Amino acid sequence: MTAAGVSIASTASGHGRMRDRWVLAGLLTGPGLYIAIMAIVPAFLMVQLSLAHREVGGLWSPGFELTQYRQLATPLFARIMGFSLLLALTGAAICVSLAFPAAYFITRMRRRAQVAWLVFLLGSLSLSEVLIVFAFQVLLSTSGTLASALNAVGLLAPGASLYPNFPAVLTCLVYLLLPYVILFFYPALSQLDPEMEQAAATMGASRVSTFVKVVLPMMRGQILTGVLLVVIFTFGAYLTPLVLGRPPQWTIAIHINNAAMGAGNLPLAAAYAVAVVAFMVALLALTRILSQRKAVEA
Amino acid sequence: MTLSPRVLLRRGFLALIALFLAAPLIVVISVSFNATRRMSFPPTEFSLRWYRTFFSDYGWMASLERSLTIAGLAALVSVAVALPITYALWRYQAKAAAVLAGVGGALFLIPGVVAALMLSAFWGVTGHVGRLENVVLSHAIVLLGIPLSLLMVGFRTIDQAQVEAAYTMGARDSDAFRMVVRPAMTPYILCAFVFVFVLSINEYLIAYMVAGFTVQTLPIRIFANMRQGYEPTMCVAAVIFMVMGFSAFALMSKVADLPRLMGRTRPLED
Repeated sequence: MTAAGVSIASTASGHGRMRDRWVLAGLLTGPGLYIAIMAIVPAFLMVQLSLAHREVGGLWSPGFELTQYRQLATPLFARIMGFSLLLALTGAAICVSLAFPAAYFITRMRRRAQVAWLVFLLGSLSLSEVLIVFAFQVLLSTSGTLASALNAVGLLAPGASLYPNFPAVLTCLVYLLLPYVILFFYPALSQLDPEMEQAAATMGASRVSTFVKVVLPMMRGQILTGVLLVVIFTFGAYLTPLVLGRPPQWTIAIHINNAAMGAGNLPLAAAYAVAVVAFMVALLALTRILSQRKAVEA
Repeated sequence: MTLSPRVLLRRGFLALIALFLAAPLIVVISVSFNATRRMSFPPTEFSLRWYRTFFSDYGWMASLERSLTIAGLAALVSVAVALPITYALWRYQAKAAAVLAGVGGALFLIPGVVAALMLSAFWGVTGHVGRLENVVLSHAIVLLGIPLSLLMVGFRTIDQAQVEAAYTMGARDSDAFRMVVRPAMTPYILCAFVFVFVLSINEYLIAYMVAGFTVQTLPIRIFANMRQGYEPTMCVAAVIFMVMGFSAFALMSKVADLPRLMGRTRPLED
């Protein structure tokens, strides 16, 4: 009798598993197809494109050649990547050192104030890069407020412009990224136990030293990932350096776009893009190694 | 009430951050109400002239409508794709769903220009170029990471014990879905929709590289105008973006627990 009961139960669950499988297939087939077609196929296509043969008039034919990759070994490409990285790391240093304390303070506010900040940050984060660049153009233009104010106090020669230059590009990028980075730190910092800080305080540590000695080390991995986030975004930024910078301040994104849309050299654009992705993967691996090693040390 | 220097320092720091983030927006908003054609700040004379021009201009209105259509459809597609994946992950802990979530969310994490190039090459090869649906499907895949992560947060808030109880009382999947899952998930689905909608409507580079020559969205139109020089109606378009974005998120904070949605799990008192 027990044996019969067990066998009934097992067939029932076996039956249930079969049904689960059908349900799962029903749930995941559509999304799976969509993701395969729109994410995996384009990724392979881009790699194939980077190896393809360039034809005249913006066309290309399938092939397997390293013509475009040879262009990556030029000083020009090294200079572009070097500049993009410099811009990204400078931006990251500024963003993280502003965003980290800001997020820390926000997570310690009362609910209403926190919600208000979140709405404000989400709202400004979602604003189009076009719009922000345009706003900066208005703000920095020769007839704009900032220029006339600086003019009035004699910090800026009359008629001189505040853009296009490196600081303008950097400031705009920091503007675009700051809400992202604050919101990125928000979950981890809001998970910090207030009691732990109180414990440090009762042991005589000042707030600042608690922050530096307890909070910061715990957040090493997060901070490194935040830096990586800024780097990824900066390498992808197109409008900001285009409008607020001069050609020496053009990041890799502009060169990719110019190759694809302007020069009609899709294989070169694809080779650039593959190199950028490879570079990002290497950076990701590096941040993983760094955060793990530091965690072990701590 | 006297404030300690530490509190003062903290408030000052946050106020500076807020000012930095608000400054360009304030300038654009005030310039949009300017009566003159010249870009001057502070505005000399208040006027709604450029708002009237904007809303009676066929080109601007067509772009606005196109952008709204794209954003609505893109949000619909990406939520419709993310929902079964996250449900399968929560209900069956399915490996396939985890893989799909990983791949689907990945495009959100690669530099925007690379995603744009990939997708523009894809549409080029299919021979289906310069169409509105290209932008819709491209935005939906690139922004898929957002509904995936928001809906995962949502499913995590559902009390497993409650679901188990429903099953022991003989409820079928469809009953459990109707009684427990749907009410718990509705705010998260709404938020995911709004989030994708707002980001899609603001997106420039992908829209431009996928169909920019024929499908002129609002950001593409603003940028095209910027290249030709200053035009006060651009400020009006910019203000519309701001109003849409900020009110969407303010609305979201009314329907859902925003701190939780943004990843806070520790309880927060009022």
